[in-house]
Amino acid sequence: MERVVQQTDYDALSCRISAIYKGYLPSPCYQLAKCGYMGYKEIHMDYINGLKHVSRRIHGKVTRTLQSSYPVMNYGTYLRTVSIDLELNGILSKIGKDQRVQILDLGGGSDLRMVPLLRNYPNLKFVDVDYSESTKVKSKALWETQGLREFLKLQEPQGDQLVRSDRYELISCDLNDLNQTSVKLDKVTDADVPTIIITECVLCYMTQDASQKLIEYLINHYKSGHWVSYDPIGGSSENDRFGTIMQANLRDSRNLEMPTLMIFNSKEKYANRFAPLQTSIQDMWELFNKIPQDEIKRLKSLQFLDELEELKVMQTHYVFCKSQWGNV
Amino acid sequence: MDMDLDVPMHDAIEDQQLGPTLDEDRETNSADNSAGSTNAGNVGQTPGSLEIDEVEDLHDPDFKPGSSGIADQKSAKPLELTNSTIDQLDKWIEYLSKCQVLSEEEVARLCKMAVDVLQFEENVQPINVPVTICGDVHGQFHDLIELFKIGGPCPDTNYLFMGDYVDRGYYSVETVSLLVAMKVRYPRRITILRGNHESRQITQVYGFYDECLRKYGSATVWKMFTDLFDYFPITALVDNKIFCLHGGLSPMVETVDQVRELNRIQEVPHEGPMCDLLWSDPDDRGGWGISPRGAGFTFGQDISEQFNHTNDLSLIARAHQLVMEGYAWSHQQNVVTIFSAPNYCYRCGNQAAIMEVDENHNRQFLQYEPSVRPGEPTVSRKTPDYFL
Repeated sequence: MERVVQQTDYDALSCRISAIYKGYLPSPCYQLAKCGYMGYKEIHMDYINGLKHVSRRIHGKVTRTLQSSYPVMNYGTYLRTVSIDLELNGILSKIGKDQRVQILDLGGGSDLRMVPLLRNYPNLKFVDVDYSESTKVKSKALWETQGLREFLKLQEPQGDQLVRSDRYELISCDLNDLNQTSVKLDKVTDADVPTIIITECVLCYMTQDASQKLIEYLINHYKSGHWVSYDPIGGSSENDRFGTIMQANLRDSRNLEMPTLMIFNSKEKYANRFAPLQTSIQDMWELFNKIPQDEIKRLKSLQFLDELEELKVMQTHYVFCKSQWGNV
Repeated sequence: MDMDLDVPMHDAIEDQQLGPTLDEDRETNSADNSAGSTNAGNVGQTPGSLEIDEVEDLHDPDFKPGSSGIADQKSAKPLELTNSTIDQLDKWIEYLSKCQVLSEEEVARLCKMAVDVLQFEENVQPINVPVTICGDVHGQFHDLIELFKIGGPCPDTNYLFMGDYVDRGYYSVETVSLLVAMKVRYPRRITILRGNHESRQITQVYGFYDECLRKYGSATVWKMFTDLFDYFPITALVDNKIFCLHGGLSPMVETVDQVRELNRIQEVPHEGPMCDLLWSDPDDRGGWGISPRGAGFTFGQDISEQFNHTNDLSLIARAHQLVMEGYAWSHQQNVVTIFSAPNYCYRCGNQAAIMEVDENHNRQFLQYEPSVRPGEPTVSRKTPDYFL
């Protein structure tokens, strides 16, 4: 199961590379103008080339679908990526650059957000946490990529160690194992520093028990913080079969389980996972409909999106949830 | 064995050859350059660059409409079936019904015959009741077979399909081949209209082109079918009462007679009446509106009522939009949407439907679920796309 879940990272990376290849990302009005993600495309291309040196199989998997990627997938990748980036940059700029702040990217796999964020916020420490299979690949790929290696000021890993720097940590850890997680996080984070936690398609692979314990532990351990989460929801209306079909499809074709998809199957139930925190949640279709006309026009020029009904069905089953606790 | 079953069969085989584990990758890395570069395709070979070669260029002279040659020797009169062509067609239909593809040469023969049937059909093809009216199929071959089980076999049941046979599903080639073979074999029993996906441009984005390349190794079959699509009729009229088409109305078309005057034998244009008929959608807002699809228009109840009144119609039947129950009324029963691809894209969870219209013009909707696909090896089943 661990490997099956870990492999989903390559799906996410593949989708992101595809969205970059087709021009959806970086979004000029959001990621460039608002988040200052200069060099976004180059960072990803460098990493992909580094990845090629680490594993041709993974590289092939990630780049295979570049030419034939469907607009509906690129739109969805755009939505999840831009939503999280905007939120992170909103929080970080509110905190300012005068006090320490840390980001825990839980199960983020090949996510490369740390690169522009560490550049733009000198007061930030970034901690990547994932299965060891995933962190091993990432560590090697980052080390193989001269630009990223130098930019992140990575220290040469000794033996089985992973790359690290004063402001960047890569932690191998099974998030289902709370003891292990807490011990490892304690070594590299400070509970008194404002903390932003990212779970982008992570909680959905955990059992209800393990995920709730993780949430409870982290929001109690860190004095103040924000939690930014993106996940699918199964759907709660009577005739909605999206979630059960999704579970069956993923189980049949790749043994992948989403244990809580039908438990937290609505926005309300998903948001309740973070009770009693102050939480707001939107589905991705709602967020899509808030994109200004100019940006929609730009997106439409990239690929021809032939229908909105399917996009709506998909995006109403993914949510973007943000919670806040403590004085931050 | 690797757990990665999320790839088409040929890709899975490549993966196996490459070895399933990361460590093996590193070991085989230098020794197995050829397999590595096969797997990586032509992507990212230039460091720091995302530029990749397009598989084929639309400006390639071979891409010109008509270049497949299927319409080079059109007959001056409709195709007359002989005993031997009937035999041939029956064999093809039997073969295709098992979800097997025809050879490239057979597709060429089929398409040539189909041109000589379809070129003589009208822009507004007249049809009589009883008829069973169907919406989008989108390459979901097994669900098309289910449709024939629900609606009755062709030619016992008369069928009218309102377009979108290809793209999105995994069996566009088999689906469109079967429907075209049926059309040639039973020209007066089955009518196949053109949908917005029966076009060169759209099929390059949404799957049919890639599927043809994958299944035939070249774009030849795609060229033949897309050349054939130009001959498909664009609307049908059931007993002068039900106007059937893929998309919807056009601000440039007030009467059915105006559709008859169009020159339809061409690629679906980006604008104008023919484009609108294949792209437009009914809407809750009155009048004409800009379509969020970027082609065609939205039209309100006032427009539908006026069109039906002007042309003495009882109903506009159309497809084109995913509707969760498989059919949906709009504009106070002036318009009905029919969608015949259950669990669209293998993940949307919708029902499908067809509409039977009997001798007395009574209408009945038959809804159905996705077919079970027994015996299909799991490994060939690509995971539907999700955000993971």
